[in-house]
Parts: sequence; C-alpha cells; structure tokens
Amino acid sequence: MLEKAVLEKYLSLAMSSQADFAEIYEEKEINENISMRDGLVEDVDTEEIAGIGIRLYKGTQSVYAYSHASDEAAVLPMIEDLKAAIGTSDKTASVTLTRVEYENRHPVKVDFTKTPLADRVQLLTRATNAAKEADSRIVKVMAGILNVKQEVQISTSEGRLIGDTRVRTRLMCEAFAKEGDNLQSGADRPGGGCGLEFYEQVTPEEIGREAARGAIVNLSAVDCPSGRMPVIIDNGFGGVIFHEACGHSLEATGVAKNQSVFAGKQGQRIAAPCVSAVDDGTIPNAWGSENIDDEGNFQQRRLLIKDGILQSYMIDRLNGRRMGQASTGSGRRQSYKYEPTSRMSNTFILPGDSSFEEMFEGIEKGLYCKKMGGGSVNPITGEFNFAVREGYLIENGKITKPVRGAALIGSGSEILMNIDRVCDNLARSQGMCGSMSGSIPTDVGQPAIRVTSITVGGTANE
Amino acid sequence: MNKQEWFDKAKAAGFAAFEIGTSRESGRSLTWYQGDMDTFVTKQSASTTLRALTAAGRQVVITTEHPEELDADAVLKKMAETAAVITSEDESFIREPAEALPAASKYHFVQPEPEAIRQALAAVEAKLSAYDPRIAQVTDLEWEEESAGKEVDNSRGMAVAESGCAQLLIAGVAAAENGEVKSEFRVEVVEDLASFDADTFVKKLCDEAIGKLGGAPIPSGAYPVILEKEAMTGLFSALSGMFSGDLIGKGISPLRDKLGQAVFSEKITVTDDPRLPELLMPVAYDDEGCPTARKELVKDGVFVKMLHDTKSGARMKAESTGNGFRGGVRPMGLGIEPGEKTLEQMMADMGDGLVITDLAGLHAGIDHVTTDFSLQCSGYLVKGGKRDRAVTLITVAGNFLDMMKHVVCVGSDVEWKYRTIAAPSIAFESLSIAGE
Repeated sequence: MLEKAVLEKYLSLAMSSQADFAEIYEEKEINENISMRDGLVEDVDTEEIAGIGIRLYKGTQSVYAYSHASDEAAVLPMIEDLKAAIGTSDKTASVTLTRVEYENRHPVKVDFTKTPLADRVQLLTRATNAAKEADSRIVKVMAGILNVKQEVQISTSEGRLIGDTRVRTRLMCEAFAKEGDNLQSGADRPGGGCGLEFYEQVTPEEIGREAARGAIVNLSAVDCPSGRMPVIIDNGFGGVIFHEACGHSLEATGVAKNQSVFAGKQGQRIAAPCVSAVDDGTIPNAWGSENIDDEGNFQQRRLLIKDGILQSYMIDRLNGRRMGQASTGSGRRQSYKYEPTSRMSNTFILPGDSSFEEMFEGIEKGLYCKKMGGGSVNPITGEFNFAVREGYLIENGKITKPVRGAALIGSGSEILMNIDRVCDNLARSQGMCGSMSGSIPTDVGQPAIRVTSITVGGTANE
Repeated sequence: MNKQEWFDKAKAAGFAAFEIGTSRESGRSLTWYQGDMDTFVTKQSASTTLRALTAAGRQVVITTEHPEELDADAVLKKMAETAAVITSEDESFIREPAEALPAASKYHFVQPEPEAIRQALAAVEAKLSAYDPRIAQVTDLEWEEESAGKEVDNSRGMAVAESGCAQLLIAGVAAAENGEVKSEFRVEVVEDLASFDADTFVKKLCDEAIGKLGGAPIPSGAYPVILEKEAMTGLFSALSGMFSGDLIGKGISPLRDKLGQAVFSEKITVTDDPRLPELLMPVAYDDEGCPTARKELVKDGVFVKMLHDTKSGARMKAESTGNGFRGGVRPMGLGIEPGEKTLEQMMADMGDGLVITDLAGLHAGIDHVTTDFSLQCSGYLVKGGKRDRAVTLITVAGNFLDMMKHVVCVGSDVEWKYRTIAAPSIAFESLSIAGE
C-alpha cells in the first residue's frame, strides 16, 4: 500500500483540475483454490492480485483509470489521462489525509495463509467421505475450497484514509448420484467472512451429506408441471428471489437514472404488509460483510422495506450525487479493475410469525421450493427468473413428490405484493452476485415465504 | 522478469519443466448520458501464470500480477511443497514448441480520436431519442476499445506471442407505452467510426425494443418454436461445456460415452475453429502453446470429436486439439454450421408457432449433466407465416439433447460479432411453453 505522503501528492495533483472529488483505491488480494475429485487432490492454484484505481468526479461525471502497476511511472500518466478527460484547469489543490481508525467487526481466528496446506485438504477429504458414505448410489464427488484474503486502502480528496482486510472462506461440494442411466447432482456451498474457524460451525461432513441428499432426491424427481400456482419458497438460498426480483431494482445504479421499477417510490407501498427487508453489511463475519465499502465508507444496516413500505435504496457515492442523497456505504467492486457502484451485501426478508405448518394451509395444488438455484433480473422492466434446484409438489396442503426442472418467473413489483405469509424460520445462504462492478460475495436470505400465484415453468408437457 | 533464470532455477530445484504465461490487456471506454460524457475509463493490466511440472507429472500453478516482486527460490520451494499434496493420478504436461501459421482477424481497426468518439455517441444518442416517441430513454451508450496479448514461454524452448484488439459500440434503450416498459440493447463491432452506419444501428435497436411492447403470455402448452439466433447462441454457449474432453473424461458431460453416436439431428454440424477470421481475436496457439485448428465436433448429427488440452487428451489417450485456455478446456470459434433459409423463410414454413428472441437466466436454469432446461423467455407469435404480437413472461422448457434431435430447419443467419461461440436460428418441432 502506498504511503500517506505519496497518496497526498497524487490526490493533490488529481484535484488540480476541474475535478471536484478524487479517490484512490488500492488492493492486494491473495486467493487459493483447492479442488478434489473423488478424494484425490487435483489442483492447488494460488493467485495474487494487486493494483490501483483512481477516480475523479466532476458533478455526476466520473473518470476512472486502473493499473496493476502502482509505481510513479505508471500512476502519473494515469492521472494526466484522467485530468485531460475531466477537464484541465489552473487550479492548484492540496490534500491532507487523516487515517481513520476503527474496531474490526470481523475478526479472523484461523488465517488460512498461516496454516499448513494439508489442513485445508483435510477439510475436502472430510466432505468427500461424508458424501460418499451417505448413500451407495453416490458415484462421484467433487469438492473445492476457496480462501481469500483481500486488503484494501482507500484515500479521498476529502482527506479520508482508511483500510480494511477481508478474509473469506467457502467450501463447495457437489455429489453425483446414479441409478441406471439416470445421473443427477446435488450441491452445497456454504461460506463465511472469516477464517477456517468457519468449519467448526458448519462441518465439512454436513456439507458433504447435504450435497449427497440433494443428488439422491433428484434421482426420484419427476418433471415439474407448468402454469400459475401458489408457491412456497423456503428459507436460506430461497432469498435469491428477493435478491433478484427486488434487491437489484433497489440499487442506486438503476434508481438514479430512473432505470428501475422502484425509482421514485420511496415512502410508497411496494410489497405486501407482511414484508420487511434489510441489506445489512455489518453482520459479524458474514459472507457479504465488510467493515467499509470499496469507497471507504462504513458498511451499514439498511432497512429497505418496512411493513411493505419502501424506506431506503442502496446508494454509492456517485449515484448519491445524482439522487441528492448520501451514500449508504453500498459502493462495492470485485477488484481494482472495476469502478464501484451500489451493490448488495447481506440482503434478506425479516422473519414473520407463521409457523412452517401454517404456510401450507389451504393450498390444494402448488409448488414447495426447498432449494433454489440462481436467477437474474432485468432491473429496467423488473422481470426476473430463477431456477428451482430442489422442489416438491404440494397437494392438499401436504408436501408430496419431488419435481425437477422448474423455473419461477414474474415481475418483481408483482411478486412482492403477492406474498401472503412469512414464516418465522429466517436463514441466510451464500452466493456470488454479478453486476456492473464485477462478481462480489453476497448473502441472500429469508424465512419461508408464500406467494399466492406465480408462473412456474416446468418440463412436463401437460 | 528474466524467464531463462526462472527456467534454470526450476530445473535446479528438481522440476521437469517450467512454463511462464503472460496475458496483457489495455483499453479505454467512454459512456454517454443525456448529452454529455458520463464515465471514462482507461485501463492497463497484466497477469503472469507460473506453471511448474514435477518429474511425476504433477503441476502447480501460481498466478500473479507482479512477477518482478517474487523471490524465485522461495516460490519454487513453495511449489515443490504444494506438488507433494497433489494426489490425482492425472498426468500434466508442458509442451514442446510447434510451428503454426499466424491467425488473422478479418477486422482492421482504426482507432478514433477522443473528440470523434464524443461526437459519434452524441449523434447516436440524439438519433435514438428522436426515433420514436415510445423510446422513453437511452439506458446505455458506450464506446469500448481493448487490446489484448499473450505470451507463452517454457523451459522446453516454447516462445509464443500473439495479440489482438477490438472496438465496440454498445447501446441500450427502454421503450415504454401505457405503463409497460421493455428494454433492448445492441452491440456492434466498429472497425472505423468514420464510416459507422448509425442510422441502421439505431433503427435495428429501436425496432427491436418497440416490437417487444404490447406483449403478453400465451397459454401453456407445446408449440413449434424457432429459437432466433441470439437466443440459440445463448443456449448453445451455456451448454458448450458438453464438448469438453475434460468433463467427458470425468464422466459429467452429457456426451460421456457418446463418441461415434448420433447425438443431434443429421441437420446439425458443429465446428470449433480458434483461427476463424470472423473472431475479434483469433489465435494460432492456445494458452499451452499448442497450435489451434478447425475441427468438426459433430458431423451430420454424429458426435465425432471432443475438445482437449494436453492433460485431458492424455487421460483419454488422445492429442490436444489446441483448446487449452486459461481455466481449462474451452471452445473458441465454436459454431453450428448455418443452413440456407432466412428467418423469414423459416417462419413462413412454420406457419403458426413461436419465435423466441430472448432467453434469461441461462446461468441458473440449466442442468448441465442432464441438459434439462427451463428458462424465462420472450419473443413473438407467428401466424400464417408472419410475425404477430409480442410474447413475454413465459418459460420454455426441454432437454437440449432431445431438442437437438428434433430439428426442423437450421437458418442461414450466423453472426459472430464479439462472440467466440455462435449459432444460427433453428426451428424445432415442439417445445414446452409455460405461460397463462
């Protein structure tokens, strides 16, 4: 990371232009990927990423330059390019930085860079063995672990100098079950914003067994019927529905330019009264947490929806200027190769008061989505889709046979209004979210929710 | 970095071979919003991958953006320790050098001055805004230039270097009417901005967006379907991993045990050609330094060849096909060979049915082992062989292998543009649609 005096020199130079704000983002990341197939270690790949990104604003215009090289010979021409793009001037600026200290909310107990490689391999062996031992029909198990340590330092022309170290780990296990010619897979991929102590809370054995369970269920699954029907989406990764259908449309990236269905709706009803939701980047050691965002602002707990009424958007600094609102600490990016923009952190629907059993009352024919796959949304139209990874038919209020190949589609503004019950079983789950500023870790989550009617696209020709 | 010094030290440390791969990228982009520059980005990055091979054929890979900061002795020691942990029986390789003729793109780019970019974007924005009152907003407008290069050097004497560049203009619009909003975007490869046909670009983009208005679902059921080239390309790209010899060797590709069998309709021929001049950046060598070549993967519906890098090839006692790219075995220039009919002729032949123009959720709604898919889509109805009303908020479901056995017709309209995988429009007998 660059010295304070060097940063002050660069920021002063950058501000000696028509720019009214300047920011320098420095990053150094080491990540490690270990992969195992059927108990044998296949690859151990390590990657080091380090570089610098410099950004200037003039009003709502932004110019950005990045480079893997951060020596003066690389940085000075970058600053000159940026000044030329934003407009040169005779102005002479002087920036003085003050380092901001704070208490780390996300302490790490077991740093992967300080443990023997064999310890991480052992985690994969444990998950693999558990998956294989779960059922004789498990014929193949792939396991992988990702460990990341990212250090960032952000300095701005407003005099702020602040840093953060983010440590993350995630263990992925995919099991394949075979019966005759029928080959099906199941997977589990939990992770946390912490060190290897994570695997004391969530053991590799649990991860392996969960992957095997999913594969076995899919062996007996039948094609899912199609049409509009009531749907119960269970907790954990089920929250991808809120993430896709609503979360992205509440990001300032779209809202600021009136490119979101929820633009201009603050204070208005956008969801059923039983729905409250937050985006909380402060949860200790959660997968989507960090002390500060990638613009150097402290992460926050943002109440997005309260009793169905839109409270707040997720706002980065630049789009905040366009909206006339302050940043909510939501400026995130994959690496220095991306300009930050407003992004989610840990986003979830708050628990309601229905018991799990009450959720099923009165449903004659519907779909119970125990596990969701990923999905996507068009924030301009609000149309979303997502895949059901493990689903079951609901017949006369009871969960019956497993189905596969289902997709749920709809428009975000409509689905939020059609939630009629919210369960009390809140759980979060981990994912990678891709958008303009790259791929970043986010938690999705919710208690089980019931949607009165949603279009289910199935593979059954009925 | 002094590569020869690394090779010498790796040899001294007991490694059988050592490879240094470097990739570089640089470029600039400019976005435009409401009559002025919105953002400007200039970029430069380089990444170096060190690959060490032990005498037993185990490999260790380290990637860094700052090779000059590495202490070779310490890195090699760590690589040796890591190699000791690898237990897979699969043998890895570092290749001997081989000659290949250079691969050249058909494009010849003329880099514009910044002022010319601003003027062009301003003009396009004005034309988009004025095209039709239903064009409510220009949501994206961007000029992008990129140069990329790679070098592969190894201790066996390999010294390969290639580079390429690209220029793209990207625009998106929102069309609105009666409270309904639809979006569309378009990407165009622009060799010379001075001769860019903005009017045609604007017309195509706006007509597509406006054509989506007034859409509604259709009743659930089985329909004759044409997957228009963009949608077909998306689905084919998402499932292109099936041709990977690595996944086939691991038994998790849907084409496992299918070599020599009819897997698609006899109307389907699939080729992979990293040297294809239609690509923005065709390559003569893959990232292992293996010469690339045109291959037929599926010939008249029969699966005849899979893609390999050196490692996956050796596992199945086959040669590399020159498809060893960063991240493993990858297709490059993978295409379904076009047929003879235009989309209009295919619609006329179909009579009544559905054309799907957009597929969403391709990263999530596909089972890559079984090829079952269920995807959100939109498009338009065809009645009496002609385009009828727009269709939206429906899903299309099926099984890709099964669907590709029931092909009615392959269109002539392959378009590569910025892609490395492309397919023409294809008409299918029947697919399952969920709607009302």
